[in-house]
Amino acid sequence: MGYSTLSSTVELNKNVQRSFEISNAEKEIEEIVVSASSRPNQVRSPQMGAVKITTEEIKKVPVIFGEPDILKTIQLLPGVATGNEGSSNFFVRGGGGDQNLILLDEAIVYNASHLLGFFSTFNSDAIKDVNLFKGGIPAQYGGRISSVLDINMLDGNKKEFGVEGGVGLIASRLKIDGPIVKDKSSFMVSGRRTYADLFLKLSNDENINQSKLYFYDLNAKMNYKINDRNTLYLSGYFGKDDLGYSDRFSFDWGNATATLRWNSILNEKLFSNTSLIYSDFTYNVRVNSNDNDFGIASQIKNWNLKQDFTYYGLNRHSIRFGVNVLNQKISPASLNAADNSTVNSISVDTRQGYESAIYASDEWKVSDRFSMIYGLRLTNFTVMGPGTFYEFDSDGEAIGEKQYGREVVKNYLNLEPRLSMSYQLNRNNSIKASYNRIVQHLHQLTNTTSSLPTDQYVISSMNIKPQIADQVSLGYFQNFANNGYEFSTEIYYKDMQNQIDFRNGADLQANNQLEGDLLFGKGRAYGIEWLLRKNRGKLNGWISYTLAKSERQFDQINGGEWFNARQDRTHDISIVAMYELSKRWTAGATFVYNTGNAITFPSGKYQLDGSTRFYYTERNGYRMPDYHRLDLSVVYEPTPEKKRFRSSWAFGVYNAYNRRNAYIIDFRENEVNPNITEAYRIALFGAIPSVTWNFKF
Amino acid sequence: MKRFYSSFLLLLFCHLLSSCEEVIDINLNDADQRVVIEADLNNLPSAQVIYVTRTVPFNDARPHEVVTDAVVEVTGPRNNTSNFIYSPEHQGYVSRSFSARENSTYTLRVIVDEKVYESTESMPAQVPVDSVGMLRENIFNDTYYFATFRFQDPAGVPNYYKYNVSVDGRPFKFFSVFSDKFNDGLYVTHQVGSVDNDIDINSKVVVRRQSVSAAVFRYWDELQSTNPGSAAPANPTSNISNGALGYFGVSSAMIYEFDFSTYQEISIQDTLQ
Repeated sequence: MGYSTLSSTVELNKNVQRSFEISNAEKEIEEIVVSASSRPNQVRSPQMGAVKITTEEIKKVPVIFGEPDILKTIQLLPGVATGNEGSSNFFVRGGGGDQNLILLDEAIVYNASHLLGFFSTFNSDAIKDVNLFKGGIPAQYGGRISSVLDINMLDGNKKEFGVEGGVGLIASRLKIDGPIVKDKSSFMVSGRRTYADLFLKLSNDENINQSKLYFYDLNAKMNYKINDRNTLYLSGYFGKDDLGYSDRFSFDWGNATATLRWNSILNEKLFSNTSLIYSDFTYNVRVNSNDNDFGIASQIKNWNLKQDFTYYGLNRHSIRFGVNVLNQKISPASLNAADNSTVNSISVDTRQGYESAIYASDEWKVSDRFSMIYGLRLTNFTVMGPGTFYEFDSDGEAIGEKQYGREVVKNYLNLEPRLSMSYQLNRNNSIKASYNRIVQHLHQLTNTTSSLPTDQYVISSMNIKPQIADQVSLGYFQNFANNGYEFSTEIYYKDMQNQIDFRNGADLQANNQLEGDLLFGKGRAYGIEWLLRKNRGKLNGWISYTLAKSERQFDQINGGEWFNARQDRTHDISIVAMYELSKRWTAGATFVYNTGNAITFPSGKYQLDGSTRFYYTERNGYRMPDYHRLDLSVVYEPTPEKKRFRSSWAFGVYNAYNRRNAYIIDFRENEVNPNITEAYRIALFGAIPSVTWNFKF
Repeated sequence: MKRFYSSFLLLLFCHLLSSCEEVIDINLNDADQRVVIEADLNNLPSAQVIYVTRTVPFNDARPHEVVTDAVVEVTGPRNNTSNFIYSPEHQGYVSRSFSARENSTYTLRVIVDEKVYESTESMPAQVPVDSVGMLRENIFNDTYYFATFRFQDPAGVPNYYKYNVSVDGRPFKFFSVFSDKFNDGLYVTHQVGSVDNDIDINSKVVVRRQSVSAAVFRYWDELQSTNPGSAAPANPTSNISNGALGYFGVSSAMIYEFDFSTYQEISIQDTLQ
């Protein structure tokens, strides 16, 4: 059921320190508690382009395989587009999939998906809340130009122990939390594992029943209250996907994060948060068949030290400022072969850089009607040796190379202004405007439609300039029916510099001269978003509609003409409804409709080597067919037999009317008459039922 | 390498999820016609043919449009020019005088509608094969047959190999290109099958092994890695000037014949390649 939300007004005209105790929200009072107060008032806040979602909301939205999923839920919001069918990849306001800063308790999560993206790495049991910023991004965030997805883990109950879990068709989950020292310290541990590979064991084929296919997640958090003014938090995440075919091939990948945060009240006006954060993403491949015996390993990791202050000393101002230094290190895939193997060992230079930033922002209530958040972030990125750095000609051929030792190779200094303003027309209406500039130094190289764990990452270098985005947006916000309904519309324009694409046939793996295969261009995205939410009553939910355009321009692609980005979608509609049928039964439905992705199809054909080949002209000049889908769910919560033990059954159908949405469209010779060519589509999922049993005590 | 994982993952998923496949209608634009030149010359005694065609619209009933009035010539190392004359029998341009020599440089010149298309390539030396064999593999309950080639890859230089396969007398079809990026200077085994997987235990298989240039490798490597999962499929990079599609290569080639009915199962080799 979660926790009820507390709100309390504190007058900061004298020294006050209060402790709050959050209690488990009872179902009966939930209707009252989850009213307007659980959400920040969108009309009054100067922040725009931001959405906050609680785990309770995520758990109510029907999803694939019955697994509640944060990333799937935010894809239902305006301005956020999905990747492929079932993918947890997302694209914000026409930006790329690698331009989202995904933070789990402040730690960067590099690869937020499991199993080709059908699941995200975020087990919703362990999540407290999620904040998504699409525009007007506050100055304390930086490093990715499209959006910030800030996810916080649950802290654990300081009063009593609790156990919560679920058994589903695909995965099972278990969470335990409770006090370590009552009222002083608590912990939360949550795990999840899929068991698709159990079905493989049923196979008679020796190769298949010895194969592996699963993933797991482990989240843990603990806190310790040193005294009334100081609290320590330690949290971590570890997840892994494991695939294997017989004993000859194995492939695993996963993220690890760790955050140590010291929260301190220095005085009644100054609060401090000091964090030491680590995160990494690694993958390993092991091949052992015939004479092939080799392993491939790749790692990307960072250490991040952050000092953040909040100062409430000035009337009408809340000031936030701080500094952080992040060490980013990339060890690209290196191949390690056994002595008798038929392949050679290959090692590719490790790259590292320091991303340092100082920032300050001020939320200033200028008048009763007018308020703003203005801020500045100064970032410096230092590309560090050692390593060999190449220079390339316009065809991507290396024309020079230079060896560097442990020294500075290059510095990029950027100033990033941020501004978000709101003017309240009256109690229920406001208009807002925002501007932000953001710089990005870590770039993911994806040349497939679904991002793979094996995608290469690069940092800014002599050849790769930082990606820079400037975004302006304007919005109108209205609450009505006593904040029971929220309406908002935002219009935005985003300009993107130094975007990355590839030359034809780019060789992205184990290639020391990879940068020669990259192309650099620019992008622009613009659109308008509408969102209508209903937050109270038996019926809850929202309708969102986005009308948008996202384009790229590269001198060497498409004859230098602007072309649609792959994730460009003209129309994107989501309808989410949750209806409380009775005390025991809750129903949910989600409907999505969107224009198909932009895609490159052939505009002609020819023959070569006796087979039909396709002739391509404009980049992304075609569209996939329109996508639409309805998901349904019903949750039944029987009357508890024992006082403490509660359980519920969640039934769901993904793609309820069995729409054959195209996952892939390809072209081939007709089997009967090979002179004739035909297009065919592959649909991935039909209707998929799911059932999950959840319990809590 | 990447192809390796993605095909593995796809394979796995196709077994787990019964995905459905359906022929659909799509309206595709008609683009301006482009000239296509396929000049895969080699030192085999068989006829050397250069194909000159034009692209046709996707829904055209013809597979391509043959150009019959082009001027086609290849100039060799001592400025000796071979003229290739259109032969209706081959639907391409054939020369009687052309002969290819290893490590020599050749220039192709094709004139179509007064536009000149040119390319210059060197012929790589043959990399000799030590031994050949036949192999059967079981991958996810399916059986595949391969011809195998064992050889010493020359160290310190990039080498590129192309294999075309003819099964039971049917025309040769491209199978794959390989580079020595990951096994330079090693003792290497290439497994060569059929893209149509039509080799069985009674098949007679003829393999043409060619040592090709970097440009030819790149052309075929791009062609074979274009799949519906590519972010943006494109025409493979051609080494011919003036915007022609296709490629020009002069390679050292050898022909190998295999009779799978003589295949002796010494040990069952289940492998994953």
